Amino acid sequence: MSTYPKLEIIDLSAGYADVPIVRDFSTRLAPGSITTLIGGNGAGKSTLLRAIYGTNRWFAGQIVLDGEPIQQLGPAERLKRGVGFVPQGRCNFPQMTVAENLKMGCYTLPGRKHQAAIARVTEQFPMLKRKWSELAGNLSGGEQQVLETAMVLLTGPQLLLLDEPSLGLSPKTQAEVFAVAKEIAGAGVTVLVVEQNVHGALLVSDTAIVMELGRKFLEGPAREVRDDPRIREAYLGGNIKETIEE
Amino acid sequence: MEVSATYLLQLFMNGLMLGLIYALIAVGLALIFGVLEVINFAHGELLMLGGYAMALTLPLVGLSYWPSLLVAVIATSLVGVVLYEGFLRHIGQKEFERSILTTLGISMILLYGMQYLFTATPMMVDTAYGFDGVEIGSIRITLTRLIAGALSVAAFTGLYCLLKFTQFGRAMRAIAQNREAALMVGIKPRHVARNAVALAAALCGLAGAALVPIQLLHPAMGQAMIFKAFALVVIGGLGNMTGAIVVAIALGMIESWIGGFFSIVWQEGAIFVIMIVAVLLRPDGLFKRGSMRVG
Repeated sequence: MSTYPKLEIIDLSAGYADVPIVRDFSTRLAPGSITTLIGGNGAGKSTLLRAIYGTNRWFAGQIVLDGEPIQQLGPAERLKRGVGFVPQGRCNFPQMTVAENLKMGCYTLPGRKHQAAIARVTEQFPMLKRKWSELAGNLSGGEQQVLETAMVLLTGPQLLLLDEPSLGLSPKTQAEVFAVAKEIAGAGVTVLVVEQNVHGALLVSDTAIVMELGRKFLEGPAREVRDDPRIREAYLGGNIKETIEE
Repeated sequence: MEVSATYLLQLFMNGLMLGLIYALIAVGLALIFGVLEVINFAHGELLMLGGYAMALTLPLVGLSYWPSLLVAVIATSLVGVVLYEGFLRHIGQKEFERSILTTLGISMILLYGMQYLFTATPMMVDTAYGFDGVEIGSIRITLTRLIAGALSVAAFTGLYCLLKFTQFGRAMRAIAQNREAALMVGIKPRHVARNAVALAAALCGLAGAALVPIQLLHPAMGQAMIFKAFALVVIGGLGNMTGAIVVAIALGMIESWIGGFFSIVWQEGAIFVIMIVAVLLRPDGLFKRGSMRVG
């Protein structure tokens, strides 16, 4: 892994309206790595992802992408620089077909590149081809999640932010989602994922960050965090050892 | 009263033309509502401004119809841009009261401002086409009416293609359907909102310009329209474009038939009776409510 980080966050405070939710948060993400954000409800995980993409309010600190601060840029500008964000749950255009949704995923690409880009993601996710003319709102939860990920992949992100990608999915589909994340990172994309399925996410991650009340509580290699007794107690229900060894 | 087939056909044609004009206004209103979540109560005044732009340009270009129409559409569309950049841009999505007061205020200012400049006296607007007309079977239709109808149909077709087949138009539907997803794919909501207001204003300009050679021009002409257009948009299923168009044309027909057989005052009330009945029976409108459904 290269020495300089893909993303560096320095003393970031961000949130909504008048109060920062995330406070004094710092971290560095290595290029091509997968990092899982863990924390209870209201710990500020989603707020942190939104802050990195620029869809909430920035208060203080720096967000540095490839050595350049981006905290003052709007979401569309960050997207242009290679930040992709798949928000939590049903974030698509429900009354457009799958084909139209994918077209919208190409919004920032020049017209001549649309066809090749769409061909690439439909090859990666053949389900999209089968449901081509269906309205996105009529797809199952798992299919919608795949569609949304595909829409963001079309923009060609180098840093991918995933907010609860496995929420509401069957265990089998959850496993597929993690496999996809692994595959994306394998292609050199840096992935930062918020997950309620801590166990599944830690298995594919390089690094884990634990957040509590808007601050970083713990950070380390995924394996170490998984074995930390405090984490096992709070997020993994204690009997993780057996589950992993299955 | 003697009712002949010719008379019925005449009522039908008048109703159709009227309905198409209503539809132009309602569609713009639905477009702005879909993208900005704002009900633009100044929408009728955009129609009126389009009418005045037409009336003022005609004498400058030897009464020729098409250049004046083009000027009216462009001018109204620019007013739309000013309306957006000056006012609507500063209103948040959930600020319902602010949006009503602002657009209603602008509506009044435009109405009385134009009354101050041009007086409230209705004007007849003449074009080079004058009262030229074509005979269709037993009825005679003036060219200006025929053109107004054809222009409306062309505008709907254009709008449909724009919303369905271009990224420019799809982005408008995208924002109406899911703002967060729109941000996710890199759409800039403000650009799209400005485009939507400019486009809706252009449709109003077209309606106003096409209307004034047929009807009298006066500053309050938009006032009657806006509440009807709002009713149409609600009955059509808020945000359902096709619904709004169908209901608008139906209203044109109903008004024309009521006007043809009863006292003319009943004509103006019809839509509101229908609206109240529709809202009581079908709270979501007669058509499926949709975030800018097109077909």
